[in-house]
Order: sequence, then C-alpha cells, then structure tokens
Amino acid sequence: MAVRAQFENSNEVGVFSLLTNSYAIVAVGGSENFYSVFESELQDVIPVCHATIAGTRIVGRLTVGNRKGLLVPTTTTDQELQHLRNTLPDEVKIQRIEERLSALGNVICCNDHVAIVHPDLERETEEIIADVLGVEVFRQTVADNVLTGSYMALSNQGGVVHPKTSIRDQDELSSLLQVPLVAGSVNRGSPVVGAGMVVNDWLAITGLDTTATELSVIESVFRLGEMGPGGSGAGAGAVNKDSIVESFY
Amino acid sequence: MADTTRMEEFLKRPLYVYDLPPELLATLTTKTTNPITEEEPEINPEDAELAAQDSAIAASTICSLCQVSYNNVQEQRSHVRSDHHRYNIKAQLRGNAPLEEIEFAKAIGELDESISGSESSETEEEDADTGANTTLSALLKKQAKLSHPEEQIETAVTSSPKHPLFWLGSSGLPSNKSLGVYRAIFSNAEQDEPGHLVETLQRKQLEPIKARTNNSSKAPAPSASGPHFFMCMIGGGHFAAMLVSLAPEIHRRQGGVEDRQARVIAHKTFHRYTTRRKQGGSQSASDASRGAAHSAGSSLRRYNEAALEKDIRDLLSDWRKEIDSAELLFVRATGKTNRKILFDQYDGNVLKQKDPRIRGFPFNTRRATQGELLRCFKELTRVKVSEVDEAAVAAAEAKKREEESKPATPRPQPQPQKPKISKEEEAALLHTSQIQAFIRRSKVPALMSYITNNSIPSTFTFTPASQPQNFRCPTPLHLAANLNTPVVVTALLTKANADPTATNNEGRTPFELTGDRATRDAFRIARHDLGESKWDWDAAKVPSAVSKADADSRAEKERKAADEEESNRRKAGLDRLKREDAERAAAEHKASLRGGRTLGAVVEKTAAEKRDEETRGMTPEMKMRLERERRARAAEERFKRMQGN
Repeated sequence: MAVRAQFENSNEVGVFSLLTNSYAIVAVGGSENFYSVFESELQDVIPVCHATIAGTRIVGRLTVGNRKGLLVPTTTTDQELQHLRNTLPDEVKIQRIEERLSALGNVICCNDHVAIVHPDLERETEEIIADVLGVEVFRQTVADNVLTGSYMALSNQGGVVHPKTSIRDQDELSSLLQVPLVAGSVNRGSPVVGAGMVVNDWLAITGLDTTATELSVIESVFRLGEMGPGGSGAGAGAVNKDSIVESFY
Repeated sequence: MADTTRMEEFLKRPLYVYDLPPELLATLTTKTTNPITEEEPEINPEDAELAAQDSAIAASTICSLCQVSYNNVQEQRSHVRSDHHRYNIKAQLRGNAPLEEIEFAKAIGELDESISGSESSETEEEDADTGANTTLSALLKKQAKLSHPEEQIETAVTSSPKHPLFWLGSSGLPSNKSLGVYRAIFSNAEQDEPGHLVETLQRKQLEPIKARTNNSSKAPAPSASGPHFFMCMIGGGHFAAMLVSLAPEIHRRQGGVEDRQARVIAHKTFHRYTTRRKQGGSQSASDASRGAAHSAGSSLRRYNEAALEKDIRDLLSDWRKEIDSAELLFVRATGKTNRKILFDQYDGNVLKQKDPRIRGFPFNTRRATQGELLRCFKELTRVKVSEVDEAAVAAAEAKKREEESKPATPRPQPQPQKPKISKEEEAALLHTSQIQAFIRRSKVPALMSYITNNSIPSTFTFTPASQPQNFRCPTPLHLAANLNTPVVVTALLTKANADPTATNNEGRTPFELTGDRATRDAFRIARHDLGESKWDWDAAKVPSAVSKADADSRAEKERKAADEEESNRRKAGLDRLKREDAERAAAEHKASLRGGRTLGAVVEKTAAEKRDEETRGMTPEMKMRLERERRARAAEERFKRMQGN
C-alpha cells in the first residue's frame, strides 16, 4: 500500500523518517500527525521509534538500515544510541560509523540483500556495511550522481531511480541488484526519490504532493498491492483489508 | 577433406612459431582484417527460461562504462567490485575518460611500486587486499597530479590501433580459423611490411636440436650459436634475466614421445629487500620526496638498492656478447629507478634506451621470476588460434550498416509501413472499443442493443489479442466478471448467450475473475435460470445453482444480521458511555467528599518567602543592616556549635 504524508509542511518524508522491514524511525516533530501515519500503518507489525540523530530531525538522511541492522553516523550521541537500542528489536544490530561522509542515508542505498554506495566511501565503512547489514556492497552511481541514497529508493521487490537515468544504466543496475527498476519521480516531479519517500516490502510513504500517476508507478514497481507484513500475498492482504475497514468507522 | 582434418589436428597441440609444421607453413596467408576475438555471448536455453520468468529484471551483458562484457550476474558483480571499475567510476566523476581493461593494467604497471616479497610469502596474501586498494589510490593520486590528463589518454588511444597480434589464415584450414602471432617478435622493419609476413615467418623457421644426453652434459656455457632472445624483468627488488635460444630442444621421453622445450642458454635472478613494506614505493623515491629517513630499515634498503644495481650491471656486462648478438631484447622495467638501473649512462653500459631491438611484453606479467620469464617466452612464441563465426560477424556488420544508413535517409520511408488492416479487423476493433466502454459503465440496455443491432456472435473476443488489457479479459464476460458488475454478467449470460466456459490466456474462466459475492451470485443465478444442460457449468468453475429468490433472501438475511449487530454494537457503546459517565460522576463526588484544602487556609511558607515578607517595605540601608545582623547571628551560632563540639 502506498500512503501520502507530510512532515510539518515538508514533502520530503524520506528526510524525516526511515522505514525497513523490521522497524521504522520517525523524527521527533512539533505535532504527531506524521508519526501517527506511521503508527496507523505499522501498529502491531513493527516498532516505530521516535528519535533524533545528533540532535537533528533529519534522521532519514543521516541513518541507513535494513531488516538486519542500522548504521548511524559518528555524530550520534550516546543517549540517542541507547534510546535506539532500547526501542528497536534485539536482533537488529546497531553500529556507529566513523565516516567522513556522515549523511549515511544520502550515500548508501540498500535493501536486505545488496547496497549501492558512494564511490568515495572508505573501505572500512564498506566492510561494516557488509557485516552489519548483511549485504553485498557495490560502489556505483545513479544517473551519474554519487548520492545513491538520495536518488534511489529500493526495496526487496523493486526500485525507483532518478527520472533521468538512461535505459542502459537502469538495465545495468537492475541486473546488478536483481530487482526490477523504473525511472520515476515523487512529490510532483521531484527527482530525489530516495529523500522524497520511504519504502519497505509492503508499504510506501510518499510526500503529500505525489501525483496519482507517480503513486501508481511506485505501487507497481514495489509490488505493494500484492504483499503484506507477513511477506506472502493472500494472508497479509486480508490483514490490510481489515485495517482499511476499521479506519472507516 | 583429409587435409583439413589433418590441419585441425595440428591446432590441437600448442604451435611454436619458429617450428611450424611445413604443411601449415606452406599454406599460410595474411588476413587483412583483425578477427573479432571476443566471442558472442551464448544464450543457453536455461538462461532464456530464467529471463522469461522474471522479465522485469533486466539482464545487462556489458558494463557501458568499462566496455567489459560478462555472461551472468556473478561476473557482473565481481567486475563491479574490481579496481578497474572503481577507477573508471572515479575517473568519470572527475571528468577523465574511462580506461579500457588493457590501458588500466598498463597504467597500474607504470606506477613506481611493485608487489614485493618472495614467491610464497604469506604476509603478501594478507596484504593483497589492502595492496590492491593502495595501488588504486596511488594511481588516482598520480592521475590527479598530471596537468593534462586528456593529452595522455589521447596519445594512448592513437597508439592503440596497432593490434598486438598479426592474424594469419591458411588455405588448409576453415576460413573462420585464424592464427595469431605476436607483433613484438618481428623486427621493426618486418613489422612495417605486413604483406611479407608469411615469407618472414618461413625464413625464420629453425631446425630443432636434439637434447644432450645426460652423460655428455656439462654446465652449458652461455654460447650464442643460434638466434636467441634476451629477456629481463625488474621491479620491487626482484630481477630476473634469461637468454633463451629460439631453436627448440627435443627431449625424448619414455615411450618415444617427442617433447619440445625452450632451450635456456643462461638465466639469473636476484632479489634484494628494497621496497618499503606496507607503504609502497622504493626507498630512493621516498628519500627524494621526503628527505632521507634515518631508520635501520631505510639504511638497509638504501644499501640493498645500490647492491642490486651493482649485481644487475655486473651480470649485464658478463652477458654483453650474447646481449649484443640477441635478436630481440624483451625488457620490463617500470618506473624511473628501475629504468635507471638498466639504461642509465654508466661506465660500460650494455643496454641502450634507443636500441631498436628493445620490446616490452605485450601482455600482463607478474613478479620477476625465472618461471615468469619462461611463461612469457612461451606466450610470446606460441601461435594463438582463434575461431570466429564469420556468418554471424557478417550479419552483425550488415545490420550495423543498415542502421547507419537509416538515419541518413529518413525521408523515403517516413513511416514504417503499417500492416494493412482489413475491413473485418477494423470492425472488430470498433466493436471491441464500444463493448468495453459499455461494460465499464455498466450500460446493460445499450450493450444488449449494440450486440443485437450489429449481430455480434456470442463467441466474440476482443482484438487485438496481444494488447495487455485483453490478455486477462479476452471476452466481454471476462471483462464484466473482472469489473464486478453483476447486472452485466447476468445480461451477457442470459440474453447474449455468452459462454462461461471460455478461458483467458491464464486459463481462467470468467467466474474465477470475479472479485465480490454479488458477481459470483450472478453466475450461480444464471446457472439456475439457464439450467444445468445449457453449459458445462463445472468446467466454467461455477458452483451449485441458486435461485434468484434464495440469493435475495440470503442477502436480506445477511443485511438484517449486520444491521442487528450494528445496533447491538451501538447499544453496547451507548451503555458503556453511560456507565462511564456514571462512574466518573461518582468518582468526582467521592473526590469532593474527601477533605481537600479549604479556601483561605494558611499556606505553609518557605524560609525564603518569610524573609522576603520581613524585608518588604524597608529602605535599602535598613535591609542591609538587617542582613548584616542576621549573618552575624548565624556566625555566632556556628561558633557556639563548634565550641560545643
């Protein structure tokens, strides 16, 4: 299912939140509207964590994670780290990385199996990514942009890349990642698809400005109609339907 | 025919350039064009199947950046991880042109540092990982220092059209087989006349020499009787040199099998510890850039560099005669320091930089060892056999030419000829669009009148069948079922006589596409109304018949049940609210009964508040006096307490 949301008048939901298959992190905002969107979709399925990173609210751009782990930049305080540790499931590994490129969400794009990272990332970082997130790491660019995390939104089902990515690049990336890719935009034509939306295997949250066309592209490439939190089609679909029915009362 | 098979037999064994079979030699011809050595990636049926399964995942077979092709994902992933690809990505970001694989290998080789260590050192394996990394960064740094990198690359490109191999064909061989001989083993003059290549080769053939038997063997003094090569490699404190005769030596093994071997006239290797471990580069380079270090290691390395230079120069002067008479000199010496050892103007130097006989190795070489020199010699003198499917190449070229010619003449055929549409097809297309529109809007009367007016058969299917929307719903009934429109389904089944057993391309009947109960009931009611004999309802997957009245009554019952439940729920909710209200009221009442603070009660004051109250309305002087008095009293109290203790 794809849902539109807004964080205090900003459409860049990927900046203020992080969504994976086993947890979600949401920035601490002035109002709880944004948080409640997550909560209503993910309640009882995965934990939704209120957090700041280094005292800022741009948690989605500073951190990166998947089902198995979470990486935070070196600027994260001990209290924040402790809070994350307390809120996230025990099997999720959390690691603080000493890396010059500290906006990890901008320079790393990953799903549960592969990660596409900035070419200038340090080798130690690359190893940590492989260990903590349990992924194969590739240094690549997306449409000649080094900020792979900003210009690519990726799940285990599919991915959206910068709208100006050439067909050949798409083919190469798709073959490398072994997921279908599509060049698309979010938030009424914004090319920063990674920062404009968050996605996991059964849910995508995009900015409020996202057009119906963009949303349908997103739903089809991430196969959001078919999947549910359980991972398989039918049973989980029923759960979704129930929650929809509930929300009508 | 027999001749051809015999020739093919030759190709199965490694061929030595200077001792080719005479039959083959006589029929050699030069080929004008270089055959394409890269083989077309074969698509095996399994892969094709996989691709069909998941067509959405693109299967890219070439890295557009590095021009490297691969057959499967594993190869692609290992390529993406390679230094070559990473270098090219960074080069692209800097705006430099990406390097091809061979150019990259050359660029790495030109770095003034080399992998050091003896043949089987373990430490090296540990460092191999980081070693590759440092080489890459070193190369990048070097590139960054170059003032005009574009020029460098251009010169590299202009020299590249010279293919390292000459290609030869033979009339005794199929035309798609070609034999490759390294350009480097010919002299400069011979290289300039590729037309006479065959004659040159024929002239160069040598009679093999019988190996000496063991009893007559003596230490073979370096004797330069026949044509021979001098080969040497230097790098990272390793040096290996070899004089090798071109005439092959025949060893007779047990069983009378003849075995040809290269005859090494003389060889020598040196190894000195000169490279700075884990930091790279030679000691002299480090001294030059950073100033001389005074550690024990650095002085060791400095001494060893000088010693290695002396060793090598002594050896070269020992071999002076043979080197002077050698046909060609193959030298690998990358980096300034290494070249200086060999080519510097010193007293009685042997090798001259401008010597026309000097060649580099036209392929990648590894650490300078005797074994590596032998491998290089074998590689240089072995005839390469390449097989090309010429038909495929010609087809590919024809296609390319066609494509090239197309944009040049866009006018003559502005549109690719549309396939002519017959009258019937046109009518079918029209009907398709009309009927689909009616079904989508649930216009039952309009649909029925359209079908009767145009006398559309009950077996009508939408055209064109290839369109994706017609894939799932090829008939009007499929479409109606898929859209969950019970009225249209009923009308189509009962009035238009539509076939419920028809299947779509997924093998599903219309009933299986229904999404809600009302539509499913429409099918069951139709089964009841039309009777069991009308269609094979079981094949249509329609469950047991149900009459309209039954269905209606059931729906009514369900509606009632739902209503009741809803009213119950509301009632329960209201009750709960009432109860909660009552509880709250009771709790409030109770709270009010409990003794709280009454209005106007004396509130306990803190010490600060009391003090504040006392000083209110005093002049500052008075306040000060009061404060002083208070402090004095406090001090007195303290003293008293201390004395008491």
